Amino acid sequence: MALAVAAGATVVGAMASILVPRQARAAVVGLSTAVAGGAGAVAGAVAAGGSHWQRSIPDILPLAGIDLAVDPLSGWFLVLVGAVTTIAGSYTIGYVGRTGAGPGSRGALFLLPLFTASMMVVPIAASVPALLAAWELMAVTSLLLVLTEHRHHDGVRAAAIWYAALTQLGFVALLVGTAWLSAAAGGTSFAAIRSATGLNPALTGTVFLLCVVGFAGKAGAVPLHPWLPRAHAESPSHVSALMSAAMVKLGIYGILRFGFDLLGGGSAWWWLVIAVIGGVSALYGITQAAVARDIKQMLAFSTSENVGLILLGIGFAGLYGLAGNRLAAGLALSAALLHAANHAAFKALLFTGAGSVVRATGTRDLDLLGGLVRTMPATTILFGAGALAAAALPPGNGFVSEWLLLQSLLHPGANAGTMLTVAAPLAVAVVALTAGIGVAAFVKAVGTGFLARPRSGSAAAAKESPASMVVAMSLAAVACAVLAIVPTQTMPAIARIAVALNSHAQRLPGPELVAAPVSGELLTVRVTQAAGGSIATIWPLWIAVAIVAVTLIIATTARSLGRPRRRTNAWSCGEGPLTPRMEYTATSFAEPLQRVFDDVLAPERSIDVTHADESEYHVAAVRFRQRIPDRIENRVYRPILALVAALGDRARVLANGSVHRYLGYMLVALLVVLVAGVVR
Amino acid sequence: MNATGVIAHSTAYDQALNLACGLLLLTAVGALWRRQVSALIPTLVVQGLALTVVAVLLAGEHENGREAMAVAIGLGILKAIVIPLLLLRVHRLVPDARETRPLANVASSMLAAAGLCLLAYAATRPLVEAAGTTTARATPVGLALVLIGFFLAATRRRSISQIVALLVIDNGIAATAFLATDGVPLIVELGVSADLVLAVLVLQVLSARLVETFGPTDLDDLRELHD
Amino acid sequence: MSATVWVWVVAVGQAVLLAILAPYLLGITRAVRARLEGRGGGRVGQPWRDLRKLARKQPTSPEDASFVFTATPPVLLATSLVVAAAAPFVATLSPFAGADLIVVVGLLLLGTVALALAGLDTGTAFGGMGASREMIIAALVEPTLLLSVFALSVRVGSTDLSTIVAAGVRDPSRVFTPGSALAAAALAIATLAESSRIPVDNPTTHLELTMVHEAMVLEYSGRDLALVEWASALRLTILLGLLANLFAPFGIATELTGGAIAIGAVAFVAKVGVLGALLAAGEVFAAKLRLFRVPELLAGSFALALLAVLASAVLG
Repeated sequence: MALAVAAGATVVGAMASILVPRQARAAVVGLSTAVAGGAGAVAGAVAAGGSHWQRSIPDILPLAGIDLAVDPLSGWFLVLVGAVTTIAGSYTIGYVGRTGAGPGSRGALFLLPLFTASMMVVPIAASVPALLAAWELMAVTSLLLVLTEHRHHDGVRAAAIWYAALTQLGFVALLVGTAWLSAAAGGTSFAAIRSATGLNPALTGTVFLLCVVGFAGKAGAVPLHPWLPRAHAESPSHVSALMSAAMVKLGIYGILRFGFDLLGGGSAWWWLVIAVIGGVSALYGITQAAVARDIKQMLAFSTSENVGLILLGIGFAGLYGLAGNRLAAGLALSAALLHAANHAAFKALLFTGAGSVVRATGTRDLDLLGGLVRTMPATTILFGAGALAAAALPPGNGFVSEWLLLQSLLHPGANAGTMLTVAAPLAVAVVALTAGIGVAAFVKAVGTGFLARPRSGSAAAAKESPASMVVAMSLAAVACAVLAIVPTQTMPAIARIAVALNSHAQRLPGPELVAAPVSGELLTVRVTQAAGGSIATIWPLWIAVAIVAVTLIIATTARSLGRPRRRTNAWSCGEGPLTPRMEYTATSFAEPLQRVFDDVLAPERSIDVTHADESEYHVAAVRFRQRIPDRIENRVYRPILALVAALGDRARVLANGSVHRYLGYMLVALLVVLVAGVVR
Repeated sequence: MNATGVIAHSTAYDQALNLACGLLLLTAVGALWRRQVSALIPTLVVQGLALTVVAVLLAGEHENGREAMAVAIGLGILKAIVIPLLLLRVHRLVPDARETRPLANVASSMLAAAGLCLLAYAATRPLVEAAGTTTARATPVGLALVLIGFFLAATRRRSISQIVALLVIDNGIAATAFLATDGVPLIVELGVSADLVLAVLVLQVLSARLVETFGPTDLDDLRELHD
Repeated sequence: MSATVWVWVVAVGQAVLLAILAPYLLGITRAVRARLEGRGGGRVGQPWRDLRKLARKQPTSPEDASFVFTATPPVLLATSLVVAAAAPFVATLSPFAGADLIVVVGLLLLGTVALALAGLDTGTAFGGMGASREMIIAALVEPTLLLSVFALSVRVGSTDLSTIVAAGVRDPSRVFTPGSALAAAALAIATLAESSRIPVDNPTTHLELTMVHEAMVLEYSGRDLALVEWASALRLTILLGLLANLFAPFGIATELTGGAIAIGAVAFVAKVGVLGALLAAGEVFAAKLRLFRVPELLAGSFALALLAVLASAVLG
């Protein structure tokens, strides 16, 4: 029912984008997208609540048709996508405005509801063709949306090419993997794959790896991440929010669906691969985020980091499950799922906040921002709230899921195998370092982006965003607050997911997932032992209340007792008024960190010293330039690209323009296929 | 106490052994941490003492305890007094105060040391599980000492650091031998240590000659001799 | 009155005790240091007098600073007070049903973040410099802290501070294991870094090149400065108190009787006083490290913490 509403609202939105005149176009499309998202979220919540539903529509796709079904896992991700769609939809109204150009053009607004709808179909697809169709529609619509502003920024085209190349690579891997799996299982529907028995472990392992290439690439995990910072930075901000908060999560969904449910959990090396990818992504992502200058690029790298943490949780859920440590496996799985939800909430907030900044100032460069706390107070406070959550500090919502993740890693069990005993402390170190650098990164984003004096004219002239955008951001902030205060209310849904994922794995020697050992009390997160004793407890609400209350008491007491405040000049060493040029910038803030991680980041620096004409000893000007390239991109992708280019040059010999020759190639190809068929 | 129930140690015994092993590990990491050459020698003294404690504790459990105890004390004198004194003399002859440019910087060496310890632990795990005694459970420490010693030797430039690295390796081998075999070949160890004293003496003479001829002993500068 | 009410009373009393004790602890470290350096030095109560003097003065804000600057001192003190109330210092009973070690680390980090933001908010180069350096140090200390937590929690199977401390009281022999000795060394270094002491930061310097903590708070004056200084002293007390109770949990009250709590309070004051004196004595003989040598120190403490985890897994 709710899904029908979602579908209807999508159609209305798509039609409206073409028919409605430009003044009202964004409002109508945004509103109908928001309604579709809300309906999707309701449907997801119902599904996560345990009700099943399925339907097959035979005639939409040739040969296969489309099968749809919802279970708790689809429900969870449907809620995420739906909620983010609601936020982004309502944000679109103010962000796009009434210009009718760029993101407000007919094409862009037509694609928006289509993109969100395809994202909602992915988690409820119940057959391989349905999944692939929705996946590809999602990829293509998002690619076109990334291209929206290609007339305004130079980087857009490069971003789109990277995105297209990597997403299609992933799609090919996924296509091969799923086709192979369907062939081996003797059916394309998920039900058929689930009921297939006696699959060869080598086959399932290969299929799993192929699916990981497809899904982890979409999730932005290292080393398949180079598209992410470009595409997230260059696309319009409502699209960035949708991509980062919702689309990336579908990669996580895919890994859970295929790894645990369809392929039955496999063996330990699968989950070790996932955990290693996760750990590397988390560290690499956050280090790059800490030194990034571009506010949206910084958020994009932080997406890589959070995806890494989620994957780390999933990997350890699998490892613990296989080792028979039910307590830790349940904890790790719930940490991963909860962190996915938390990340969706705070990253939607942060990207919409960054979008407001970009819209008001026209720049994404943190070194040119600053001083927004006076001109854009609402945006600053909301962005600050998002940063608090993203930095995983109490009382933000990110803290709760990282706490759960740490709890799972801290309890590897007394008789865990060698690998887990070694891997768990390493993972704790990775999570801790990630959290530490993450705090530095978000202090940088808030401190240099929003506080102190504006560093450029455009930052000084910024105006607060229209009400609809502030409302959209507030929606996201409310989602963060709810997740921060009553995270336990998600535990029943997570428990249902664990049971659903387990029901298949039970029949195979797969990991054992059980409901998370987290009690469902209203305000207390309590990790309990099987025997009933509690292992660790936090009271998220009381932490928040205690901090706020004590702060207020101190502030009011101090103010009432002391003398009134006075404004003066800041200390300038007696050199006269301070100028914005004397402030610390984002680059200078991150410099010590960059020095510490010099070997990892390998920045490119150039220093030109111009000497005065009169004497070599007098320096007239010093110019310092620094770029921090994506090292993995340079080391892994550039050589591959160079190789492909060289091969392309060689292959030119084959194509000399003669039609006969081309026909000859076709004949040979046909013969090879036929002969191969006969021989087999 | 343990699964096989061979020897029922007291808790105090276990703890003393564990503490000594912890100290061995700590001093090995400390040797990697400090750049000051003069700080390496006290570190080595502490390590020698810890090794002696291990030897004494094991000797107490040994059948012919008195001989073993004598050997352990001899070992202690050698490791904690004689060799450090010799090293002090070398240090006085070769006055390079600190390891200025180690091949791997200190922060990465620390991370590498942590990695080596994990490796040592993972590698000896089957052995530990097979034996199950407190002494066997401490064998990873010995292996970790050997690995850290090799790492130290591979990344330091000063010849005196190399000698220290050699001694750490030797302590590691000795600790592994004691712990894995419940302390039987003490006498063998004593022989090896005597060899080492000889090696240190030779090195001392050599480096003294080198200093006379070439000045401070940076091993990379020694390569010029080869050319 | 019921037991829960008494638990709350004890928690509030503990916070008050720490808040009163903190400036005296600072006074002790300064007095010890002065004696060892052959100076007369101030009296132990001098920091309290300084705070009282500052509190009466008018606070100033830089022209460009926003509400972040004015809100930070209360937030900083509030996070410290919440930790002081919740963690086991005098008694292992807490109304927060267990102060989780990770939460304590997070709350202290929250205070650091507020101070760093305030430093950036002033718009001076000093503020930014201090904030940048402080965040780097905080980021690198984090792994050490959490790995030490790991090493300590392996022993009792919980990250709950009260549980860890209570287990130490019940079974003192478990406190002296190589794992906990290594963890203690690692935590001690982390404590020095977190509380901005030598060799990571010099609390008495105002030289541009070396300031970390002092650079961030340079613009504070009057009662704002009093709050910040008080909170810093409180953080030092908290960190030393945690170190003392995790590795020498003697005397702490495990039951709610007046006598036990009085003993607990006296034992706590004594332990923290001794640690403070040791800290001061150590500072006389140590020099501040160059900023870019600090990562080496912290990498060392990280290695120690990892070894602590291994040792507690291997040696028990």
